[in-house]
Amino acid sequence: MDALTAKAECLGRRGREADRRLERGRSLGYDRPTMEKRALLLDGGLDDGAVTRAAAAAAADVLGGEDWQVTHLALREIEIAPCRGCFGCWVYSPGVCVIDDAGRDVARRAAQSDLLVFLTPVTFGAYSSELKKAIDRLIPNILPFFRRVRGEVHHVKRYARPARLLAIGVSASGSVDPDEEELFEKVVSRNAINFHAPVHRICVLGSQQDDAVVRRRIEDAVRAVIGR
Amino acid sequence: MSEGGPRVVLLVGSPKGLEKSASARLGGAVVSGLEERGWTSESIHLNAAVASDLGRRELVETVDRADVVLFASPLYVDSLPAPAIRALELIAANRRVGRTDRVPRFVPMINCGFVEASQNDTCLRILQRFADGAAFEWLAGISLGGGGALTQRVRKAFDLLVEAIDLELLAPVEVDRLTRKPIMPKWLYVLGGNAMWRREAAKNGVRDRLRDRPYQRSAA
Repeated sequence: MDALTAKAECLGRRGREADRRLERGRSLGYDRPTMEKRALLLDGGLDDGAVTRAAAAAAADVLGGEDWQVTHLALREIEIAPCRGCFGCWVYSPGVCVIDDAGRDVARRAAQSDLLVFLTPVTFGAYSSELKKAIDRLIPNILPFFRRVRGEVHHVKRYARPARLLAIGVSASGSVDPDEEELFEKVVSRNAINFHAPVHRICVLGSQQDDAVVRRRIEDAVRAVIGR
Repeated sequence: MSEGGPRVVLLVGSPKGLEKSASARLGGAVVSGLEERGWTSESIHLNAAVASDLGRRELVETVDRADVVLFASPLYVDSLPAPAIRALELIAANRRVGRTDRVPRFVPMINCGFVEASQNDTCLRILQRFADGAAFEWLAGISLGGGGALTQRVRKAFDLLVEAIDLELLAPVEVDRLTRKPIMPKWLYVLGGNAMWRREAAKNGVRDRLRDRPYQRSAA
């Protein structure tokens, strides 16, 4: 074999290896950066509060400006049955909740999103019941199997590319209580482990903050979580 | 409901209710111990209570009358199930405008499907904030891993807890040590748990579909 033929053979082999790697990446969902980016905003506001409304609008606007497609679900207007804790979504109809209602649609949208945005009044340091009714129904999107993650037992992911997570909390008080914010961050970081979110951020707003401050805080948080 | 004596109210946050849930079984064990000491009791399934106007009204009124509120719930995604949070929202709102002259003692009892009881800690902190904001006196936060099995060790812890509640004392640290102790090593829990999921799926004929991705996003 002359040098030229050997070089061509070598390049061909590298090309085939590259093709195999590309195919493997596609099977794992790593071609998604070329797809349209999707964000699912789960709005757990108990009412149509001004700060919550401003935060939702700012998040949608900033993401839209980065060419993300945003779906905003005002959960208080959507009937979602509580999770029954039956594990049917794991061992009866794997990946699909046994309750056929809007909760299934939330889980489907979440599985197909690149970013989950939780928006909630900070309730005892965590989420409102309206937001939680949707989060509880996301369980089909993970597998029942256990594995150890950083020494702790957790469930295995079902989908190759779980969404990033941004949680926006609106405190009941005018200013943000550091203890409340710390607990909120803890809850979100635990959720990030359990939902396998590769990146997570929080943003806690006071209930009296004006639209300009809300917009700036949300803009910073969104850019941090999407890596811009 | 039983009559006479100091009153304990058991709030059950599991969707499986008062008959079938581990939460009700665990809470019921403590309630039985108190009843033997002359306490009266009432149990409320939170999913059912928050679903109707009547249930919501009865919930807040019953809690207001309690000397001790025993709150037994599973861990759902690092927090409580949604209906249990709804119940806490209602109770807290009622306590802000209602009877804060009475300060019931509060004993949350969280169980999780992971082997480590420590995975309940965030949830217990949420409940501590609730108790502080809604004028309850925190007595003890009980945390159980491994699906909330009612083992001999847990029963022993509950005997100590019952005595502390009855004598109006803080729960001894021994209660925490006994309830938090893992029921088995992590590696065995993972191995046994995974085998259990496969077995359950096999019973339903979906053993080879366990890893299905029904909502996999396809390239448009």
